[in-house]
Amino acid sequence: MKKKVGVYICHCGGNISDYVDVEKVRQSVESINGVYLAKTTMFACADSNQKDMVEDIREQNLDGVVVAACSPKLHLLTFRAVVERAGMNKYNFVHANIREQVSWAHSDNKTGATEKAIQIVKAAIAKVQNSEALEPVKVQATKAVAVIGAGVAGMRAAIELAEAGSEVYLIERSFFVGGRIAQWDNICGTEETGKELVTRLYDEVIKHKHVTLFTGAEVIENRGSVGNFMLKVKVTPRYFKLPCSDGKLQEAIDVCPVIVPDEFNFNITSRKAIYHNYPSEYPQLPAIDMENCTRCGKCENVCSSIDFTQKTEYLNLKVGSVLLATGYDPYEPKKGEFAYGEIDHVVTLPQFKRIVHYCDEKLSYKGKDIKHIAYIYCVGSRQVDGENKYCSRYCCTVNIHTAITVKKKYKNIYNYHFNRGIRTYGKQEVWYDESSRLGDIYLQSFDNDPPVVEKRGDKILVKIKDVLTTDKQLEVVADLVVLVTGMVPRKDNSIGNLLKIPKGRDNFFNEIHMKLRPVETVIDGVTIAGASQGPKNVMESVNSALAAATKSFSLVDSGELALEPTVAEVDEQTCEWCGKCDEACPFNAFEKVEIEGKLIARVNPVVCKGCGMCLPVCPVNALNLIGLTDKDVENMISALIPND
Amino acid sequence: MARINPEFTNELKKFGAFDTNACYNCGNCTAVCSLSDEDNSFPRKMIRYSVLGLESEIQTSLDPWLCYYCGECSTTCPREADPGELMMSLRRWLSAKYDWTGLSGLLYKSKTASAIAFLLLLVAVVWFAAYEQFNIETVMHYGHFFEMAAITLVFTLILLPNIIHMWWLTVLKPGIKAPLFAYFKATSELVVHMFTQKRTLGCDDSQVRWVEHFILVLAYLSLLFTTVFLNWFSSQSVFVIVLGYVESVLIFLVTFDFIRRRIQKNDEVSKYSHPSDWLFVIWLFLIGLTAFVVRLFIDFNFLVNNIWLYLVHLIVMVQWALLIVPFGKWTHFLYRSFAIYFNCLTLAPQKLEKQADAL
Repeated sequence: MKKKVGVYICHCGGNISDYVDVEKVRQSVESINGVYLAKTTMFACADSNQKDMVEDIREQNLDGVVVAACSPKLHLLTFRAVVERAGMNKYNFVHANIREQVSWAHSDNKTGATEKAIQIVKAAIAKVQNSEALEPVKVQATKAVAVIGAGVAGMRAAIELAEAGSEVYLIERSFFVGGRIAQWDNICGTEETGKELVTRLYDEVIKHKHVTLFTGAEVIENRGSVGNFMLKVKVTPRYFKLPCSDGKLQEAIDVCPVIVPDEFNFNITSRKAIYHNYPSEYPQLPAIDMENCTRCGKCENVCSSIDFTQKTEYLNLKVGSVLLATGYDPYEPKKGEFAYGEIDHVVTLPQFKRIVHYCDEKLSYKGKDIKHIAYIYCVGSRQVDGENKYCSRYCCTVNIHTAITVKKKYKNIYNYHFNRGIRTYGKQEVWYDESSRLGDIYLQSFDNDPPVVEKRGDKILVKIKDVLTTDKQLEVVADLVVLVTGMVPRKDNSIGNLLKIPKGRDNFFNEIHMKLRPVETVIDGVTIAGASQGPKNVMESVNSALAAATKSFSLVDSGELALEPTVAEVDEQTCEWCGKCDEACPFNAFEKVEIEGKLIARVNPVVCKGCGMCLPVCPVNALNLIGLTDKDVENMISALIPND
Repeated sequence: MARINPEFTNELKKFGAFDTNACYNCGNCTAVCSLSDEDNSFPRKMIRYSVLGLESEIQTSLDPWLCYYCGECSTTCPREADPGELMMSLRRWLSAKYDWTGLSGLLYKSKTASAIAFLLLLVAVVWFAAYEQFNIETVMHYGHFFEMAAITLVFTLILLPNIIHMWWLTVLKPGIKAPLFAYFKATSELVVHMFTQKRTLGCDDSQVRWVEHFILVLAYLSLLFTTVFLNWFSSQSVFVIVLGYVESVLIFLVTFDFIRRRIQKNDEVSKYSHPSDWLFVIWLFLIGLTAFVVRLFIDFNFLVNNIWLYLVHLIVMVQWALLIVPFGKWTHFLYRSFAIYFNCLTLAPQKLEKQADAL
């Protein structure tokens, strides 16, 4: 029991005192046993009052402090800092909310409000009287960051982290770096090709001594937590010792009998089991896709650099933080969605961009010359019936930019944009303007009345009820229909499950706070960047990559992390492992340990967030929350109930 | 179901339109237009039809004729797409569509074709005068005869069939079933608009334009009457002679002002001049001027020794009567007033329906 508690009751300039008789509150609590001083103050948060509090604590040797004021969301940290300045442990401060919960809520009943305020302050005093000084949980942090995904976001983040002085493990699942941007030609804005961007980033990644790049590598296991993640990485070999000598690679590809769809070209072409994406890709070493390889050995006879003895390797990496930049998949339309998969000349925007890449003089696809192109927007985004309610943000701009490119690259191209409202936000509006001026035709429909694609004879017709032409039924004869598909989360997002990253309603990785903590996740030490978090264009991806890199770096740079000590603890005597707490824990903070032949639960204080989900499920009441024990709660309840 | 034809705008450009593709459908043009109303909403709809190339919709529409080109839409268009000039081009295009001979389209689109046609008629007149050994009396006699014949033939062979064609496109084809009495009732509108262009008064701009145009129409029609039916050049009546002088002076003064405006380009309406616009005002100016001087030469007895002057007048007349009247800008005189007449017919059944709904 504390003997010298200081209580400060705030007027909040009238916000509280207009409805609560703060003087009466003061009088009601000053005589409580253990309360050494009780004061009212016009603004508790004002500098002058903060100074007074520091003086009081020092001179009167207070051992506990209660401030009755606004919500702790606003000023808990302020007053914790005040008591710390006075040399008191910050867990000996208790915040009582008499504004949001009292004066504002009961402005119609001043007497009642004052009564309630008194009870709340009494409860706070009851809590502070038994409070204990707590020290933060200290963790040694490994000065290394694992960046997962070597696309534009991942590579940019890796460079930034390495520049700052952290060790970086850049882990890429495929055999080549660059991610999605490697698949694009001229990228709107700077007109650089994706390849050029990849080259620039790769050169920096490779020359930096602090970055270690793994390709064909996948994180398969995670133990540990912030400061010390223990990742197990599986590295699949590419079965090449060195590049093949001149011309031999093409020969080796030619003799390979396995033909599979080429995902680099979104399956509009096929590749062999031995492959590379494009001649100057990185790393400049082809790979053999062992999932499809039949081990016929024909390539080995042609190129001596091929080495089938290479084995899958497993690496253990210890890092202080993990940065996820795993990117997105383009939406794959369902069979029959705008005739996709039913009519040959209906393709997606990513496929179309690859078609444009391969056509030099004239645009043609599957033996047909393309002149009239119909683009259908919002496919897989802003769905009326489907789950993807979000706007994919990038597609309007990219599609319009592609349409302009096509119009400039080939002769006599006619573009028809079947949209639901064009969203070329910000600076991107210039491309919308350019495309309109080049004569592109924009037709608009509402979401409940989408355009229809059908085949009549050998013609493809796209029909729409155009709201810009007084709802007139219009049709276009198109040689090619491009479905402007949005972004969806990666099909294989197992890394998210492994690290227990929560997902939003859109199934992308979720940040803690959209505006104020946009790159952190509820899993301490794991940051997210790029399109793994939601649709983003290149610029936005790199923005978030740099933010995430900074955030990850700030965690590992200090060498030691101080974490909140208000976590769950297990009473080893009472606990008889039943596993219910482990099931209830959203953060995986429990582990089963054996102590003197008895199985019990143990809390990892680094992982535990003190949420309290485990407490009510424990059948033997072996769990307690440090800083808010059962005893604390009971004391507060007793104080809340008027005892007369 | 209408099929989109993006190549239509290329065709329309030959008739004078500019950057129709600049339009982003804001509808500002329709909002500022003082003539557009619930029944006829333009010019946005027409611009949209043009961008999409919905030829049949444009052909059956009267909207282009209901615009009197104050230019307010062009001045306030945020995209500088020049809706006013687009409507003007649509009127040219429609004139070409109504013309069963197809010559209008040819002359509107091709400067070369126009030049050749004008030149051929010049040669023909000179050749005819030479054939008649430049006898002033014979030539003037045939000149007068030509005027009468031309009026009759051009009207019956070209203009009347074209008006019927217009009626078929804008009334019959869209399936408007106007009762017979509506045709009679609307006649008064036809006459009033034909001779007064009353609708221009609904435009927001300066009404000097309307006053001048009104004077020009009356002067032109009465000069036509004076020369053809009162035989001005041979008349001895002082009244007729003075009347002709006044009419011809008015014509060349007003057209002179029109030409000045087209050169100065201060108003939206005279900013852009298609070759057909130049031909129209210049030839009308020349008609007024040459007629005036010819009569002056007659009165001072100079003409006998100056047959060239009459020849110039005759050449201008022949080119006017055989090219500009049937295939050029002259036709707007008829199409504009008939558009209002047909519009009354299209409105008649709608009004009946509205009344029925109200009941």
